[in-house]
Amino acid sequence: MKFKQMVNPAKGLGAVMTGLVLMGTGLSVQAATDEYLLTVTRPNQLHVIDTKTDKLLRSCDVPGTFGNGGIASSPDGKVAYVMTNKWEDVYGFNISDCKIVFSMKQSTPMEQVKSIISMTVSADGKELYTVQNPVKLHKDHFEAIQPRLAVYKTDDGLNAQPVRTYPVDRRITKLGFIEKTSEVILGGGDIKAIDTTNGKVRTLAKLQNWDRSPEGWVPPDAFAMHTMGEHIGEYIMPYFTIKWNGEPGDMEKAEFLWGMTKVDTKTGDVTTGEVLPFEFIVFNWVTDPNDEDIVYGSFNQLSKHNIKEGKTLAVHPMPHTYYNINMLEDGSKIYVGGTSSDISIHDPKTLKKIGSIKLAGDMSTSDLRIAKVQR
Amino acid sequence: MKHLKSFNKKAKMLDAAVSQGDVEEVVAMQSVVGCTSVNDPGWEVDPFGGLGSLCQPMESDLYGCADACWWPAQVPDTMSTHPNWSQDVAKADEDWRKIDAVFPESE
Repeated sequence: MKFKQMVNPAKGLGAVMTGLVLMGTGLSVQAATDEYLLTVTRPNQLHVIDTKTDKLLRSCDVPGTFGNGGIASSPDGKVAYVMTNKWEDVYGFNISDCKIVFSMKQSTPMEQVKSIISMTVSADGKELYTVQNPVKLHKDHFEAIQPRLAVYKTDDGLNAQPVRTYPVDRRITKLGFIEKTSEVILGGGDIKAIDTTNGKVRTLAKLQNWDRSPEGWVPPDAFAMHTMGEHIGEYIMPYFTIKWNGEPGDMEKAEFLWGMTKVDTKTGDVTTGEVLPFEFIVFNWVTDPNDEDIVYGSFNQLSKHNIKEGKTLAVHPMPHTYYNINMLEDGSKIYVGGTSSDISIHDPKTLKKIGSIKLAGDMSTSDLRIAKVQR
Repeated sequence: MKHLKSFNKKAKMLDAAVSQGDVEEVVAMQSVVGCTSVNDPGWEVDPFGGLGSLCQPMESDLYGCADACWWPAQVPDTMSTHPNWSQDVAKADEDWRKIDAVFPESE
């Protein structure tokens, strides 16, 4: 009876008909979106890769010296914002033709400004955010200034200037954006969120300052570097900790654990906690879009884990270190990159290698992001 | 700290700052004075005391560590003082022989 109340026969028929029509055209709802893999390599180029063919579509020359190669996409996927010139400037590229549609330089002759990877874009695509680490260049000394969130309007085009700034903590590296609250996620010592309209900061999850007893736990060590998770709207901050089941320092009874803080970038919902035994180093993680309990990790191995059961399901040795990892929205392929000059492609079911993309230079610290473009 | 004795001027300043509760004034400066101020020697050993969980091979990891000041003592500072050190070598694992040392500029 309850089932009948939930199902509207007319709507059900409509869904069937829609499916038939799409089958007839060879399209599916998901196929209406093209996904492009984006990364940056030395000497300094943004690469756009078609994920249907895994072929390099185009390489865009990025002004300035390489560094760090961070990438943030506009929500429509059409513009890629690239961090360049020794972690100081940002250029926005139209990924369909490499045209530069946005630029900003953060340093001035009197003030050197570096952004340590920290960059993101608002959900409506109208604003770009960086965390700036400014230092005043006096004649006889340097003066470290309060870090700040800088807000740029993306439609200001070339040589844009910040329209607002707000003070933030030091050591912030990994940004995200919460659509529901219009807040920027500030990942650093702790995970906080800042209201982009008034600068009000709230704590989402404590890491460095967590409340657990030092007799029971080692304060977490988070690897707050690359941002990914755009394939499912997720921000992941992994951390490592030790649980002392005996006296602090008693390794015989200690548990080495991976923890994760996850933020839903649509709603802002936060989950945090230990999920896996620490068996080996993982640099970055992504969640399987078809099963939120499954995560994949990259480093010297590609690994697959069930975080609900706390189990490692599979480990695939890699020929060299890969910092970075990303997935398609339908979960059909894993891309492992960063570090060197090749992106390795893998089957999520078996972790078996199914392809490779050779690039012109090393990716080093660059991001490996997915841009989703509606047709 | 009670078992450590300050040896040089900088250490004595830090010791005094801790004593006076002024340690908050010590802030990261890597964004201006270069990688040499980063207190991170790189990963000589992994968390297990071995080498298996270090990035490997070194050539693959070279730029990823240099660009982020991970190896401040071993490679030039590409973030501040030597940004062009390796601009002519796009792939470290293939062309590592072309990567040169840096020397003080002649006055």
